[in-house]
Amino acid sequence: MPSMTEAVPLPWVLTLAGALFCVGLFGALSRRNTVGILLGIELMLNAVNINLVAFWRYLEPNVVAGQTFALFIITVAAAEAAIGLAMIIAIYRARQTVNADEVDSLRG
Amino acid sequence: MNTLITILFVVFAAFILASAIMTVTVKNIVHAALWLISSFFGVGALYLLMEAEFLGVAQVLIYVGAVSILILFAIMLTRDLEGSQNRQLTPRWWIALIVPAALFGLLIVPTVMTYAWQLPPPPAGQSPAISGAQQIGTAFMREYLLPFEVAAILLLVAMIGAIVIAFEERERRRRVLTLAEQVRLRRQQRQPAPLPEPAATAIQASEATGGES
Amino acid sequence: MTDILRSWIGGALPDWVIVLIAYLLVTTIVLFYAVGNFIMMVWAERRVVARMQDRLGPNRVGPAGLLQPIADAVKMFTKEDIVPRSADQWVHLLAPIVSLAPVAMMLAVIPWGRGWEPIDLNVALLYIVAVSAVSGVGLMMAGWGSNNKFALLGAMRAVAQLVSYEIPAVTALLTVVILAGGMSLLELPYMQAGVPLMGATILCGDAAGCSPSLYTTVTSFPGSPGEPVQALDLGLGWWVFTPVGLLGFIVFFIAALAEGERTPFDIPEADSEIVAGYMTEYSGMKFATFYIAQYILNFALSALAATAFLGGWQGPGVAALANMGGPWVHVAAALSAFYLLAKIWVLFFVMIWLRGAFPRLRVDQLMDFAWKLLLPLALVNIVSASLMVGLTQWTSAQWGGLLSLDGFAPWQRQLIAILVTAIINIAAAYWILSINQRPTQEEWIEEELVVAS
Repeated sequence: MPSMTEAVPLPWVLTLAGALFCVGLFGALSRRNTVGILLGIELMLNAVNINLVAFWRYLEPNVVAGQTFALFIITVAAAEAAIGLAMIIAIYRARQTVNADEVDSLRG
Repeated sequence: MNTLITILFVVFAAFILASAIMTVTVKNIVHAALWLISSFFGVGALYLLMEAEFLGVAQVLIYVGAVSILILFAIMLTRDLEGSQNRQLTPRWWIALIVPAALFGLLIVPTVMTYAWQLPPPPAGQSPAISGAQQIGTAFMREYLLPFEVAAILLLVAMIGAIVIAFEERERRRRVLTLAEQVRLRRQQRQPAPLPEPAATAIQASEATGGES
Repeated sequence: MTDILRSWIGGALPDWVIVLIAYLLVTTIVLFYAVGNFIMMVWAERRVVARMQDRLGPNRVGPAGLLQPIADAVKMFTKEDIVPRSADQWVHLLAPIVSLAPVAMMLAVIPWGRGWEPIDLNVALLYIVAVSAVSGVGLMMAGWGSNNKFALLGAMRAVAQLVSYEIPAVTALLTVVILAGGMSLLELPYMQAGVPLMGATILCGDAAGCSPSLYTTVTSFPGSPGEPVQALDLGLGWWVFTPVGLLGFIVFFIAALAEGERTPFDIPEADSEIVAGYMTEYSGMKFATFYIAQYILNFALSALAATAFLGGWQGPGVAALANMGGPWVHVAAALSAFYLLAKIWVLFFVMIWLRGAFPRLRVDQLMDFAWKLLLPLALVNIVSASLMVGLTQWTSAQWGGLLSLDGFAPWQRQLIAILVTAIINIAAAYWILSINQRPTQEEWIEEELVVAS
């Protein structure tokens, strides 16, 4: 049974995850729209998950820790998306905008 | 067969990265969300390639089925009509470009490529025991029971929080009456005028102050 | 399929090409099967609803109007494909594909007959749920991409309904996961062998004298770990006959109606309110794609309901034929495929029947129904299913010494489990229904105050 561990070296997978993380980071830093920032954060969380699953598969395939952590991260990401989007909707109701640089009432 | 898997991996990787780059650069926010969905799909396929069946399916279920639909709903509820022509990036977006690029080029790639990974030797003969859905379930009920419960409470708290934050008070909404309610209302109005209700004045007061923050 | 092809082609092609060809063939067959059923379903729905409404329905093209779907298809193909000028071209184009593809993917894991399974996936049930959730994205794309108020409204209604009813559906399917001890759909029909209510628990007295046409080999009893025993098998041990399965089936079928947007849950495309919902701006083949997606979704959900609760391909005679060996195995497979098809069509007939009988729900009634009635029932059912498994399969060591049922025969344990779960389910159903029938006085008063102000 051929498997991914023989066909693809681990650093490739990690590089993919790193690239995805950096793309997500760029999105989270550069977008004005708060929803866009959230999209970037979701990408970063996915990159972390790829890393966890890759470590599980290549290093310890018979221990569930990697998959379990990935599942916890998915849970946290879902909760974060729900809260984040609820806050965005609440901000939009109050100020009629979703741009992050226009919500600056805490600026000194 | 190994070359096939390598090709598949390269295709998935290109797909994931291309979708991710489109997500962060495309102008229209709905298109960005749709590209994000395709990126999620690519990650799910990658999990399947890594033989994490349960996680791959869970990825599709949670991210594609729930989170992205939530995002699309939020976008449609907060759409500002002038938004699409405006610039989408912050004025200092080039700093935001330099930081991740430096992170990737100077930190991640050298570290990942030069570290000597302690890979287990490839098993001779039969394929190794890979933990699947059943092992994950057992682990959640045994060694990860406390984190599992905490995650459940987190989800509950997140649900309540989201409802509380996004809840629109009922009085502020204008309802369309059904026929039965109209009949009932008319019958009520024909009777002698009721006492002035405290609730009604409270609503008016909240309407006067509502909408400000 | 792979083995047959291998024996035909042999060494002429590399092995992975043979595997690829085999999968392509299986995919083609399954898709043709589903589309053929879709054509018949459209015809049957029009005729049966017409009959219920005292009309004739299509009866001009072919005998009894049987060729009407083909005429419809020709009309669809030749229609002009109109895309609104203000629509988002790509999203508008991709939406029908995104909503059809996941539905077609659902068909891959359903066992269509004894030994006729396209794929054996060990997370098949979760896979079906996950994939069916994806079609919501397609609906959202259709609603947004058309740039039309009615389309957007319809899409939002559709997705809200899909997401809410997914929860009772998944919770009802969880009972099946608990009963089966796994998420593989392949195993489910084999587990529903036996006789009604009792399942495969009535064992043969002496192993030598059991006729192979009446008895089947079972291994899953606590008294005989791993040691196969012979149980009476009429192919009727469907879970719908047990209290747990019955409640689960009812909840799942109602939720499936809502997910497939059948009347009385056809709010997303209520043509008297919002034209045609998310399909408003579609014409020609794109519209037909949505239509196909919807019917195949109904087909797949019926197949899933049949497999999970009605025994799948299990039926009288299948096991007997299979036990005869030789070419009879293929006859058994064909018979089992016929049983599954018959069950799917019975369920589809019930869907048509409901369409003929019930008016459309309001949105708030829809949500109340899912969250206040179906979900609590499904949750109680999970408790019952766990008790069922515990009472029928656990040893006293697994119960931690609380309860010892080791001395009982399997059929006695099954009877105890059925009694206990029946009491729980009936009491819970009665209680939840009585709560839901209570008028909500407080809300009325509050609303009147608001209205009067």
